[in-house]
Amino acid sequence: MKKSDVLIIGNGISGLFAACIAADRGKKVQILSYGAGTLTIGGGIIDVLGYTDEGRPVTDPVQAMGQVNPTHPYAKVGSDTAKKALNTFLKITNEEGFPYIGSPNKNKWIPTAIGNFKPSCLVPRTMDSDVVFKTSNILVIGFDTMKDFYANMVTKNLKKRLDSDKSIKEFTVTLNFEYGKDLRDISAMDVARWLETEQGHVSFVEQVKPHIKKDTVIILPPVLGLDPNYKVLDSLEKDLSCSLVEVSSLPPAVTGTRLTKMLNSYAKKRGVQVIEKAHVVGAKVVNGKCKSVITEGFDRQREFYADQFILATGGIYGGGIIAKIGALTEPIFNIAIDVPKVQTEWSHKQLFADKKQIFAQYGVSVDENLIPLTAEGKQVASNVKVVGRSLAGYDFCYEKSGNGVALITAYKAAAAFCGEA
Amino acid sequence: MAINKQHAIDPDKCTACTICITACPVTAATRKFRGPKMTGPALTRLRKLVSDDDPMLDYCSNCKTCDLVCPSGVPISTLNMMAKNEYYKTHPRKSKADDMLAHSEKMGKLITALPLGSTFANLGVSIGKAFNMMGAMGITKDAKMPSYASESFISKFKKIKQTSYPRKVVFFSGCYINYNQPEVGVDLVKVYQKNKIEVAIDENFVCCGSPMVSGGYIDDARVNAAKNTAILKAWVDKGYDIVTACTSCGLMLKQEYQELFDFAGMSEYAAHMYDSIEYLAKLNDEGSFNTDFTPINKKYIYHAPCHLKVQAIGRPSMELLPLIPGIKIEEADAGCCGISGSYGFKADKHEIAMKVGSKLFARIKDSGADLGVSECGTCRLQMENGSGVEAIHPLTVLRRAYGL
Amino acid sequence: MLKTTVVVIGGGATGVGILRDLSMRGIKAILVERDDLGYWTSSRFHGLLHSGGRYAVKDKEAAKECIQENTILRRIGHHCVEATESIFVRTPEDSEEFEQEWVKSCKECGISAIPLPMDKAFELEPNLSHKILSAYRCPGAAIDGFRLLWQTVASADKYGGKTMTYTEVTGIETVNGTVSGVKIRDKWTGREDKIACDFVISAAGSFAGQVAHMAGLTVNVKPSKGTLIAFNHRICNRVIHRLHKSSDADIFVPHGSITILGTSSIDSAPDDTSTETAEVTAMMEIGKLTFEHIYDYRILRVFAGTRPLYSADPNAKGRSASRGFVALDHAHDGIKHFMSVCGGKFTTYRLMAEKVCDMVCEQLGVNEKCHTADENLVEDPSPELMGRAKAVFPSYGAELAASRLGNRKLEHVIERIESKPEMRELVCECENVTLAEIEEIAAEPTSHTVSDLRRRTRLGMGTCQGTFCAYRSVGAVDKEEMPWAKDTVYLFKEFLETRWKGIRPVLWGNMLRDIELTRAIYDAALNLSGVEEIK
Repeated sequence: MKKSDVLIIGNGISGLFAACIAADRGKKVQILSYGAGTLTIGGGIIDVLGYTDEGRPVTDPVQAMGQVNPTHPYAKVGSDTAKKALNTFLKITNEEGFPYIGSPNKNKWIPTAIGNFKPSCLVPRTMDSDVVFKTSNILVIGFDTMKDFYANMVTKNLKKRLDSDKSIKEFTVTLNFEYGKDLRDISAMDVARWLETEQGHVSFVEQVKPHIKKDTVIILPPVLGLDPNYKVLDSLEKDLSCSLVEVSSLPPAVTGTRLTKMLNSYAKKRGVQVIEKAHVVGAKVVNGKCKSVITEGFDRQREFYADQFILATGGIYGGGIIAKIGALTEPIFNIAIDVPKVQTEWSHKQLFADKKQIFAQYGVSVDENLIPLTAEGKQVASNVKVVGRSLAGYDFCYEKSGNGVALITAYKAAAAFCGEA
Repeated sequence: MAINKQHAIDPDKCTACTICITACPVTAATRKFRGPKMTGPALTRLRKLVSDDDPMLDYCSNCKTCDLVCPSGVPISTLNMMAKNEYYKTHPRKSKADDMLAHSEKMGKLITALPLGSTFANLGVSIGKAFNMMGAMGITKDAKMPSYASESFISKFKKIKQTSYPRKVVFFSGCYINYNQPEVGVDLVKVYQKNKIEVAIDENFVCCGSPMVSGGYIDDARVNAAKNTAILKAWVDKGYDIVTACTSCGLMLKQEYQELFDFAGMSEYAAHMYDSIEYLAKLNDEGSFNTDFTPINKKYIYHAPCHLKVQAIGRPSMELLPLIPGIKIEEADAGCCGISGSYGFKADKHEIAMKVGSKLFARIKDSGADLGVSECGTCRLQMENGSGVEAIHPLTVLRRAYGL
Repeated sequence: MLKTTVVVIGGGATGVGILRDLSMRGIKAILVERDDLGYWTSSRFHGLLHSGGRYAVKDKEAAKECIQENTILRRIGHHCVEATESIFVRTPEDSEEFEQEWVKSCKECGISAIPLPMDKAFELEPNLSHKILSAYRCPGAAIDGFRLLWQTVASADKYGGKTMTYTEVTGIETVNGTVSGVKIRDKWTGREDKIACDFVISAAGSFAGQVAHMAGLTVNVKPSKGTLIAFNHRICNRVIHRLHKSSDADIFVPHGSITILGTSSIDSAPDDTSTETAEVTAMMEIGKLTFEHIYDYRILRVFAGTRPLYSADPNAKGRSASRGFVALDHAHDGIKHFMSVCGGKFTTYRLMAEKVCDMVCEQLGVNEKCHTADENLVEDPSPELMGRAKAVFPSYGAELAASRLGNRKLEHVIERIESKPEMRELVCECENVTLAEIEEIAAEPTSHTVSDLRRRTRLGMGTCQGTFCAYRSVGAVDKEEMPWAKDTVYLFKEFLETRWKGIRPVLWGNMLRDIELTRAIYDAALNLSGVEEIK
């Protein structure tokens, strides 16, 4: 393999975004990917910082970054870079014809598939929830026979969370899909495919239209098309003369798939090479600098050379950090992460505790330049930076900060490798 | 059956995350398929427990997109193939086509051995279509079927005079090149000679077994694997590298054998296995790739076969072909073509295969390309069938650029 | 106020066995259980139907009872039993003398123990450690605790035996030194009531001491906690025992789609079902001698139960206390018609019930003999019904549903799917549980939480441990507007936190990855804890 300028390990949101940033600045970028990246199953929205450590909702996420713990990834980035990163993301979505909305300085409340709300920052237009709070009639739409969305539950819980003077009703769209023993269950993706068809569109409009009053917003599962564009949304909004809002839902999430496709498309247009199924098992570090990383498959080991490396391996879930009994390791650079020997000390007794979960904050420690540090505090390699979920010091679930940390640290790492401070 | 950890088959790694479902092209095309996660790791747990029917299993095309996207390294498609193999030990086959398509080498041998055999065979396909005999066999009458060559690659190879070079490879041609498109094999020899590589072949090679595995005949594939393993190991011991010009053969020999079987020597020879273009890209990295090209002022669209993507070698064709002066080439990046070896030739799968490939067909047509390019023989056939644009092997592009 | 002849306290194996036995003899009986059926010890075990081999050397009486009851349960409870057989294996650590004594003892007890050549043993069980020296086939089997309990109750129900779950006994009333009734409280509504009765049998297992205390008596139960490890797959096709003096972590039971390894033995409080990582690793180290690659197998969860070991000697500990059962007639302590049943084994639950009921009948002056071995717990689905099941259930669903549900409920579930085909949707994709089944069980008066549905159906007991089916099952019960499904957030947390309890001590490898996914869904995407009112 030829040497690349920047080699990125991992093609989740942080890896892809770092690739976009570096490729935009003329770098020859290669991504080594193992699996599609969990972005595909994620919600496709950019949570930046939803709650403080004490559990108070955050209004302005960029401003609130100033108050995070010094070990938090945001503390290593600074709010100016964070803002640049988020605005660059918005710019990319614009260029790809799938513009996200929102401001780095303001959180939104997004409805969820259980009828709660979650704070998030940048979202696709299909999840522009501001209208939910301004409109007096909410119509929660479910689909009969579709799996993984319960309009009744959403309606019931929305009533608990919203002003009581709103009318919140549910309506079930009949899909008329065939159903039998030899046919699998119907997923949101199937419905999304149906809505992309002329027949699906017409049927949906016919069924829903009679229930639309003058001042109505529709809340529905993420089914507004599979691709990163707003064709389905725009045509439905036009024909129904009302807004539609997709909820934050569970995998397989159409919303995450759209974002993956969009970032891949942008990166490939800029010459980013993706090598799939490349399982990186180690790295060669000489005199404090990483020379290459090594992949291993069924055939033989391969060496990939680069000037700069970005580790975007997705933490414990992504396989970027391996948990064993009483031990936690970053396997490529073989960084031991300091954890208690007794497993039960890795967590609180309650899974959904009213504080950050302990294990969620485990990860690779880095210096202010995102360069990984050993347990003794020494740089692992000066031309390696760690981004996204593999970083220590934050609980993306509790804070609602997952994709935000990914984008912001990826931006900082890639820009720094391109000579930007 | 209980799980057996001696092999690389480990359903334990699955976290049920559903990424494979979002990516599976067959799941997207039909609800008759339950999806990779459900058919593979999820049902693997239950198959040990109860006997029952599982007709959905038949719909997995073994394209391996699920393996490609799985973040946990679960060999989902191989679990499906193993289950299919077990399933058909106790359940009747849907059609006679399964057996015929899985054992295509038998047919190839038979036809090319007969004088004018290929003419009659190709004629037979058209007559069969005309009288709907194909339909009775369970083979679609709508797809363009691979036609048989009048002379096998092995026979053609013997007539090629090669210059001897220190760098030597043994070429595993596979059935498709040997019986259906021998010229691709000739392209390889010419292109390799141009790059100072001597090519050997071995007449004792048998079908890699890929169509057998996909068709649920793993026990037959095991017999072939045992033969091929011994031969491949012997060539590697003599200092040869191994190349394939069919990505399914390549994947089968270096990966699926190790997942499914346990013969001595597999990992040793696999370390010396290359895709034919990957091998040239390696020369390019070393600075010894011959770029003595004449310009080609044509537009190509490249389709990466699923079985190439999953080999972790990137896109070697997209590294080399752009080196040809004048060439315009872009990657289709439109997912699976749908054919999956012989899947799309089956009557009950043809419609699914065309639906899977529809995105690629549209992409080819929209690109305005003069020619399609792909390493896989049946992918090329499907590209032509779906888009009407002729598709060729990247080796053929290189041969033309060398003016050979 | 309710009225009956006998109140049985405790919905474990002993209690349900007694309820069925009494009911079949025509004695009116009500069983009251503080939690769900099988919430405690009767589900917190290996799921092993003993052949008796384990007791052959130490306790021949127990061994004989086991093989006798094993044979009966395979027949009457065959929907709960997976007749795997068992293999006893001797590792280099185990003594050869014991093996010889064991072979002799098995013969004496009438337990078939057929020597198995090692090459054959490895063929049958390829994952066994290749250091193992000898192996014997015995008639052990896997048994599903939840299922046996519910099917026993279903059988009792046919004879009028009544079961009240989530009903706590708050007092035992006596008149002139004879039991006259029990005070009860509904755990969900808090409503208090009374059952007037002539006889009370406490089958409260590890809690027998607490129940006796309500009547001012002392019963000496020494709860001993045993931890169990559930693996994601079948590591073995048969029950695997170590051939040595019974000890920790020496039994592997393939149980449905999983394997359970047990167990340890630590003195504990009756309600202590916690597990420490150290207990797990200690068991894995021992288990490694049987299955050398044990650390490679994915753990689903760990759980613990307490053995209700009875001892007249308050200082007796752990395994040295008797595994046989004791029926204490408290007439000797001054209260008539009050009996405590302690100890015993799951495998012999029917026999214990028979012996207890013989004693009770004698006191009540009833002459009817025991019939519990004569009749199957639930009727078999007819071939016609199975045909209908196979036509509607998803692949690998029909047989599983049939053994879970039994004849009558299976028919209901089939009818649900026949009238609404979409009811065949898989709520639990790991264990193949359909929406129809969830709705059927959810509608039963004994269901109050999603965990209750889990115990009845295996919902959430597979690979993802509830990550995906939590949403589906809560949504489904919410949709049906079950009276108990008012607070969705509570339902989610009750179910997921229960699953979490079993994962927390083994939070490494894929278990941790899975929990990351669970949190990503319920905390990050759905903000389960987010209760803000957005105005």
